[in-house]
Amino acid sequence: MTPRSDVLTESRTKRGDAGDGRALGARITRVDGLAKVRGAATYSLEHRPADLAHAVLVGSTIAAGRVRRVDQSEAEKAPGVRLILTPDTIPALKTASNWLGERPSEGPYHALTHEIGFQGQHVAAVVADTLEQAVEAARLVTIEYDVAPAVADLRDSRAGAGTEVEAMTIAWGDAEAALEAAPAKIRREYTTPREYNVPIEPHGLIAEWQDEDHLTIWEPSQWIAGMARTYAEWFEIPYENLRMISPYIGGGFGSKALAYSYGAIAAQAAKLLGRPVKLAVTRPQTFTAYGGRAETRQEIALGATLEGKLLAIHHRAANETSTTGTWVERCGGTIAIMYATPNFSSKHRVVPVNTVLPSAFRAPGENPSAWGIESAIDELAYEIGLDPLAIRLLNYAEHDHQANLPWSSRQLREAFAAGAERFGWSKRSPAPRSMRAGSQLIGWGVAAGTYPMRRTPGQAIVRLLADGAVEVLSAAIDMGQGTYTILAQTAAEALAVPVERVAVRLGDSSMPWAPVGGGSQLANLMVGAVHKAALAARDELIGLALNDPKSPLRHLQANTLPVGDGRIGDLEIGAFLAAIGRDHIEVLRDTFAENGKSADDPFKTYTTITGGRTTTDNGYSAHSWCAHFIEVRVDEDFGTVRVSRVVSAFDCGRIFNPKLAESQWKGGIIQGIGQALLEEGVVDRRHGRVINNNLGDYLIPTNADVPDIEVISVGVPDFHATMLGGKGVGEVPIVGVAPAIANAVFHATGKRIRDLPITLDKLIG
Amino acid sequence: MPNAAISLRLQINGHLHDLTVEPRVTLLDALREQFGLTGTKKGCDQGQCGACTVHVDGQRVLACLTLAAQVEGRTVTTIEGLGEEALHPVQAAFLEHDAFQCGYCTPGQIMSAVACIREGHAGTDDEIREYMSGNLCRCGAYPNIVAAIRQAAEASR
Ligand code: FES
Ligand code: FES
Repeated sequence: MTPRSDVLTESRTKRGDAGDGRALGARITRVDGLAKVRGAATYSLEHRPADLAHAVLVGSTIAAGRVRRVDQSEAEKAPGVRLILTPDTIPALKTASNWLGERPSEGPYHALTHEIGFQGQHVAAVVADTLEQAVEAARLVTIEYDVAPAVADLRDSRAGAGTEVEAMTIAWGDAEAALEAAPAKIRREYTTPREYNVPIEPHGLIAEWQDEDHLTIWEPSQWIAGMARTYAEWFEIPYENLRMISPYIGGGFGSKALAYSYGAIAAQAAKLLGRPVKLAVTRPQTFTAYGGRAETRQEIALGATLEGKLLAIHHRAANETSTTGTWVERCGGTIAIMYATPNFSSKHRVVPVNTVLPSAFRAPGENPSAWGIESAIDELAYEIGLDPLAIRLLNYAEHDHQANLPWSSRQLREAFAAGAERFGWSKRSPAPRSMRAGSQLIGWGVAAGTYPMRRTPGQAIVRLLADGAVEVLSAAIDMGQGTYTILAQTAAEALAVPVERVAVRLGDSSMPWAPVGGGSQLANLMVGAVHKAALAARDELIGLALNDPKSPLRHLQANTLPVGDGRIGDLEIGAFLAAIGRDHIEVLRDTFAENGKSADDPFKTYTTITGGRTTTDNGYSAHSWCAHFIEVRVDEDFGTVRVSRVVSAFDCGRIFNPKLAESQWKGGIIQGIGQALLEEGVVDRRHGRVINNNLGDYLIPTNADVPDIEVISVGVPDFHATMLGGKGVGEVPIVGVAPAIANAVFHATGKRIRDLPITLDKLIG
Repeated sequence: MPNAAISLRLQINGHLHDLTVEPRVTLLDALREQFGLTGTKKGCDQGQCGACTVHVDGQRVLACLTLAAQVEGRTVTTIEGLGEEALHPVQAAFLEHDAFQCGYCTPGQIMSAVACIREGHAGTDDEIREYMSGNLCRCGAYPNIVAAIRQAAEASR
């Protein structure tokens, strides 16, 4: 625990709880909200440079094989067409390093290739003066293929067993022997389909070259530094020459953290044409231009005493990956830490199929892992005749059994208690099919969720201006999690100014470093960096006031001076700065030391994912936790399922702005409702393609699918987890929602659905 | 030449704009690319998300499914024209209730919400949910959207 944290906690109790709109912890309205409700927030693709050309992608209609010939003769003749890129004509780039900072090869990178690994893979790009002309001309490109047999998905008989990922193996005790000897046991398989992030802002970019080796990219980005690195390496220009701008992001949920091949294509076209190029990925293309959550399969065996105490957990998982790359949807995370068990074994395999490489979607790994264990423990409860909440408390993990370390904090018991109380769990009738209203079967289910703390240093500039205003600068991003707002709160807190006097500028690679806005880490770590920089700015101001020969406050011979509301001592900051001949004070601070990291290589720290701390590096195991209580109503005749009530309690440590945290929690729960009941990439096995590649057929929750949702915070400040006591907020709320719904559906109907989503055909079949 | 440019005079947010475009240009692309009115968002370009909702003669309309040429002689209102000076009560309620996160669906939600109240379809929470279901929000701001519309609807009665 750092002394700073104490100071802050103290000042918070003095001011923040009074709700004067100043402190961290207050329910402050989103500072970027005004621009957003007015339509004045300009997202990256809304930048309008002069002489903009438009690029449109042409995708492969086959899932595997080779492009034999691209006929572009008709397209070339179409009005307005300026450039057509194909595997035959696109110039090679240099292969960029991956997010570990490793270069897979020293060879060239071709953003378009003759080899086809999945349906929808980009085969050509047409650039024209207007979007309409480019769309029209793209239709005139014809492609001939040599078709090869494709592996459609995990369930395709040709997929095989894939390969084991040894780094994912987790084991202690002897799970197999303990399972064999256990008096009670279950063994079940749980599966999840391909799922897609579907941010409402589609992907895309505008690329503009200032000269031969200066490139600016306007692109929605969860990771300014990482994406800038990729572009700079592709084009072999110095990192500093690459400017990446992403002021607002229209949702990402994991999908906007990397530069994808369409980015290379657009930047390539801009270079060849010598004019800015905009490439907006179409909604159908968003299903194949980058990957969503991989399809997963888990076999779980639980062994227990007759009283329900776990003796063994045995877990075998697999996920699909692409034929050209490896994505591990790590299914062993939640299952290894959620419950106390003396014996544990988990292994994971990846199976290549003809799909775009899957990628991160909210709570990657933890989400399917919780789907498995939180369904299985529920099945065990019924098997043994225990209440589903009671079995979770009976097997409560008092410490991290995997790491054999204490928790940094774990208020999960409190979450169960608070959620159960608000939900009215004690009034639950235990038997399946025992609660109903007319033709509606009612079911109540519970499940828990968790997400590990990821922590990377951050950096920020804080400026004190002559008019008493404050500026905060960082290359961090805000995709809706509230970064703008809580960083304004942080600076306001430390400098005792109203939040309205703080201007936060984010999303620009020319600003101080920030790591990836993913893994629920960004808001917490940037709060730490901004807080440190703001306190340093205050100290510098006081130091100048006490020591500068021209300072009008020097005669006071004070040890310190109060700073706040645009004043130092009884002087306006502007007047003071004028007196000492300055127009602002600026400090830059980073949090390498606070995170136990060396500051030697900031480039590597911020442009790769290797700069982060582990979840357990300070002798504590740090995670966010939650408990979901969900009611469903299932129509007995039609098998339709509606979620009618949700109460969820969260331990995310200290909450910097409850209003924004509650919004994120509800949003995560709603995505979990989608995952449970609606979302599934439907694969046409004949052609190896996802056929519901649009928002009318890939169903996400609408307003009418969502009931009232009550969220409760049971967290306490956790200074083992982060500098200022917060834990991750954004990922954990989706974790455990789908199993809570499946558990409720079982309670309502007596039918256990182990294959997501829970659709009516599975219930009435 | 089927795609020869045509001249249009459009009334947008109370101002007349002259425009020369190909007849196939949608209202959405005309607003965003020609007039720089980027408050109207493109989420799907195929009528499935509601992000592009604007008002044409006071009715909610999907700008991605409307040609610019179709709105000649009609009045178009976009989010930028909703509350030019003070915030429209629905905008203020969205702000107060944190009825968005990323903000990308928000202009469309607000334009739909204004029309939903005007149509008399904001009587109960369930009615709001039903009549706002053409506007997708992946951030999942729905409960806060309902709360905001409920408040604005009550205030308008
Ligand atoms: S952009 Fe018009 S409905 Fe989606
Ligand atoms: S606020 Fe992000 S999609 Fe609605």
